[in-house]
Amino acid sequence: MVDFLQNIVDGVMVGSGYALLGLGFTLIFGVMRRLNLSYGPSVMVGIFVGTWFHLRGAGLLAVIAATLAGTVLANVYVDRLCFWAVRQRSAITAVVSSFVIWMQLEEAVILVFPDRTYPFPRLTALEPIELGPIFFRAEYVTMFACVALLLAGVWLLVYRTRFGLALRAVAQDPVAARYMGIPLDWIGLGVAVMAALIGGLAGLLIAGTDQLVIPKFGLWATYKGLIAMMLGGMGSIPGAVCGGLLLGVAEIQFVWYLGAQFRDLAAYFLLFTFLVLRPGGLLGQAIVRRELAAFRRI
Amino acid sequence: MLVIENIVTAYGKIEALRGVSMEAQEGRITCLLGPNGAGKTTLMYTVAGILHARRGSVRLQGQELVGKPSSEIVRRGLALVPENRLTFPEVSVRENLIAGAYLRLTRDKAGVAEDLERQLVRFPRLRERINQDAGTLSGGEQQMLAVARALMARPRILLMDEPSLGLAPLVVEEIFRTIHELNAEGVTVLLVEQNAHMALQIAHHFYLLEQGRITFSGVPGALQEDEVIHRAYLGGSGASSH
Repeated sequence: MVDFLQNIVDGVMVGSGYALLGLGFTLIFGVMRRLNLSYGPSVMVGIFVGTWFHLRGAGLLAVIAATLAGTVLANVYVDRLCFWAVRQRSAITAVVSSFVIWMQLEEAVILVFPDRTYPFPRLTALEPIELGPIFFRAEYVTMFACVALLLAGVWLLVYRTRFGLALRAVAQDPVAARYMGIPLDWIGLGVAVMAALIGGLAGLLIAGTDQLVIPKFGLWATYKGLIAMMLGGMGSIPGAVCGGLLLGVAEIQFVWYLGAQFRDLAAYFLLFTFLVLRPGGLLGQAIVRRELAAFRRI
Repeated sequence: MLVIENIVTAYGKIEALRGVSMEAQEGRITCLLGPNGAGKTTLMYTVAGILHARRGSVRLQGQELVGKPSSEIVRRGLALVPENRLTFPEVSVRENLIAGAYLRLTRDKAGVAEDLERQLVRFPRLRERINQDAGTLSGGEQQMLAVARALMARPRILLMDEPSLGLAPLVVEEIFRTIHELNAEGVTVLLVEQNAHMALQIAHHFYLLEQGRITFSGVPGALQEDEVIHRAYLGGSGASSH
């Protein structure tokens, strides 16, 4: 029982990183109705920029700033190339071009960083916290606290500001939003920057916990974030968070009871179960649910 | 006030508008009638800057609108009540209205609050539903919301694209009464309709649009209502029912 509880605690902590990645994906998808496959690789570029500064002896704050700035630059580059130009045209074209840019970003990083792994600085050097029989790793507690704060911030931004109202308007009816004079291109850019800051934070927390970075981090981040988003329901903010946490807990339980080689299977198992039983995800947007229902009627 | 000249708008090679010219005069209700597929909504999209005209010009009080982004067109004083209402379904009635005043939301908080109150006085039903999501409203209420939302932009001219579409007769009457009242308060209205009978009762001037061209321009009464209705639903100039 203690093991099971400890796994849940660890799972929630690991899952909060996934939740951030899922949140970034779901923001982009929910508002722009476009899947940005290059989102994970943008985060990867960001942490390599951070590593570049770390290798040259920069302090922790500089590394953090560089990571966030790198992620934002990379993601704005992707938005500009794949989504701005084709904003009103085919969604498929945008998704495919974001896949192409993924390859480009990964190759560019490998050219500059030819080795397999590079070090990344630890974010906190605190001792683990013990609460009765349960251990809390300090890195994970930091991660969880950051995620909780960030979620509160995102909620305020989306539901209490003019920019947030514009986001929701564009998400629900882009044509009507344009009739109100809401500039679609700038909202798209705003979403790209916002998602990049969230992803950059996820990258920092995850790379800081592992203390290493690899070029395949982009693939890994896209994979975890996509699954978190799909479990929670495409386009739903609380859904992405729940999906991420659920994925984290499932992974840790699978590893503990079945073995480390089953870790990725947990994701596929969850995904399969959801696609069969609840294809709209845990808290899918009503709009997506309606689209799915309409599709089923055909 | 709004002068449309020789507008050509195309989807790929198909020209939906083949040189449309018309005018909406200040303080009046101008009505555009025509059958499905005549290009009425395309014209609205073009004027509002959602679609780009291939040729021609649209001037609002002498200022050219073609080529301007839609945000600039809204800023110049043109607001549109879109076909099928297009309210934001999972946003509250209050926020739907506030979104209508998006462009001056940060500069003019007091003005926006004032306008919000004015709309709630005009449409008491919206006040009752102020915190509900727009998607839970009835069709008629959503149409009221769409009109109120457009008015939140303080437009000089209000474009309305088929406001009676899919509504019960009593609700349609209410909508037309609202249009009439707005006009009496000085709002210039360009109304696109298929409901020729209702539209001709309030219009000062009307146009017929058929297959991408204006085929008639005149005051109500200039044509037999039967013929207008026939052409507004079925198109085909000269196909008057004798």
